[in-house]
Amino acid sequence: MYCVKCGVRLPEGTARCPLCDTPVWDPEGSASAAPTFSDRYPAPPKSRRYPFLAFLTALLLAVSLSALIFCLRNLHGVYWSGYVMLGCALVYFAVIFPFWFERREPLIFVPLGFLLTAGYLLYICLYTGGSWFLSFAFPVTMLVCLLTTAAIALFRFGKRRRLLKIGALLVLIGCSTMLVELFQVISFGGRMFTWSLYPVCAFSLVGLFLILCGVIPPWRAYVERKLFL
Amino acid sequence: MRLDNAALIFPAIRRRRWVNVFRVSATLTEPVEPAVLQQAVTELMPRFPSMYVRLRTGVFWYYLEEVPAPPTVREDYAYPLTLMQEKELRTCCLRIMYFRNRIAVEFFHSLTDGTGGMVYLKTLTARYLSLRYGLEIPAEEGVLDWQEAPRAEELEDSFFRHTNGVTLNDHEPDALRLKGTYEPNFLYLTTGVVPTQSLVEASHRCGATVTVFLSAVMEETILRWQAESCPNRRKRKPVKVTVPINLRRLYGSSTLRNFVLALNPGVDPRMGDYTLEQLCKRMAAQLAAEGTPQQMAGRIAANVNPQNVTLIRAVPLPIKNVIMGIVYSMRGESKGCINLSNLGRIRLPAAMEPYVRRMEFIIGTQRSYPNNCSVASYGGETYINMIRNIREPELERRFFSRLVELGVPVYLESNAPESPRKGAES
Repeated sequence: MYCVKCGVRLPEGTARCPLCDTPVWDPEGSASAAPTFSDRYPAPPKSRRYPFLAFLTALLLAVSLSALIFCLRNLHGVYWSGYVMLGCALVYFAVIFPFWFERREPLIFVPLGFLLTAGYLLYICLYTGGSWFLSFAFPVTMLVCLLTTAAIALFRFGKRRRLLKIGALLVLIGCSTMLVELFQVISFGGRMFTWSLYPVCAFSLVGLFLILCGVIPPWRAYVERKLFL
Repeated sequence: MRLDNAALIFPAIRRRRWVNVFRVSATLTEPVEPAVLQQAVTELMPRFPSMYVRLRTGVFWYYLEEVPAPPTVREDYAYPLTLMQEKELRTCCLRIMYFRNRIAVEFFHSLTDGTGGMVYLKTLTARYLSLRYGLEIPAEEGVLDWQEAPRAEELEDSFFRHTNGVTLNDHEPDALRLKGTYEPNFLYLTTGVVPTQSLVEASHRCGATVTVFLSAVMEETILRWQAESCPNRRKRKPVKVTVPINLRRLYGSSTLRNFVLALNPGVDPRMGDYTLEQLCKRMAAQLAAEGTPQQMAGRIAANVNPQNVTLIRAVPLPIKNVIMGIVYSMRGESKGCINLSNLGRIRLPAAMEPYVRRMEFIIGTQRSYPNNCSVASYGGETYINMIRNIREPELERRFFSRLVELGVPVYLESNAPESPRKGAES
């Protein structure tokens, strides 16, 4: 019996061609040929990742608890152990936690990391009696989170028009520095446009050049050749 | 026992889910008796001291240590070349398996290459047939006398004897990387059985040898596939087929350890389209130009020279492994799209032939290639084994369909399950 699409001869009793999945016409209903391999499967390799992750989890937990116990016994309060515990929590959730999952989706775990960073900054602000969290730390963290997530999303879904994407991203980064300076002025006082204009100009120039390269094919060909894109 | 020069790379580049293993197998006319096979395996142990070994880790190098007892023969799995895990490498780097009429031997590549593996399989099969049917099989056509002591030249590292000391520098461009949906814990094997006579005639029509013809057809298949998936010619990547060269023929060595070196002939599709005849001519010319003893000695020197540098020898093994892994990624696998390893025509002593139906050779996938191809001829048939660790049989479909177009009839066997395999969806 033959596959009408590939033209190869197949063993008797084959239902579909293993190459193109075309059903094989077998009016006589031939008996299947003897299998060439058994149906035994070896045990899949054991993952060494989970014991290692469990060890890291236990290590961070031990460091946090040690710091807390030390402060409670010697200083009779939480004091600096709060930094250690929240720092460990931040490292755990931002770096170690995603590895428990088979598929580590960056569009979920990156924003989660930034949210935890904001939480850590909030603790520092409250502990030190500051008032800079809502006016500076939170908006700046969210701005960086937004830009990072946007960059991941842009490059994750399609590799086309890379120069255009990189250019747009650079312009956005440049402009966002003005926002950072704005939050800085609101929180800590001072004059606007003392330093942000420099990165705005630099990033925008490079970004606009790349956008132009993305739009003008001869320029794009030149840059791609030079940068091995 | 020290690893030979080519063998050094295989323990260094192995990964938790990938180890370089290959298989040779003989299919008999009657079902295999496991107890008799086990006896044959045990009896051959003193004759092949370089095969019955396990991998050990030293401070500066890996080394091979003879195992105290022969490996136990076991039933074959649903797919060939299952992962040889760390524990198994530390126990024995050799597997002997059976399924129905087939005897299969799988080797960790540090032990030997295809030719050495085939010598072991022939001798094992000869001994098995002698025990099973009382045959008198002479030590000829690659079958060794199992009772004689191993000869020194069988155990030598021939690379060191055939280097010219002058490193051959060649800066090859990277080749196209084939891709697909990775299938964990399974290898799809597609065997194309073709009449050797038809294959030889088709090769002669293109003015080429069988190896050159098959490599050129493979090249043409990948070129056409790339042309369809990448219409912009300027963005196409070089298509190269890695062809291992058996250095024993070139230098007259009879070692049973690794003595093979690969060449990467290929074409750059940006230069234009090639006909199959042109590809054959180009492939033959490249293999002829690069495959001379002098050129190969230069390539051997490139591998052997670093092993002689005291400073490199003194570097601890874990650091060596990292460096060798990086060098291999940059200079090894990136230079070819697929391996096409042809063991050529396999001959057996006349007394064995009525009992052996087919002889095969299967190489595993590479660390980063998803597909590989190995070829061996026996009894008027050529067995083209294409293996892959991805779900899509696109390369196989195109390659075998092209062979049919060229007038070579193909009988196809596959180990792909008819219904989706358990766990395949994960």
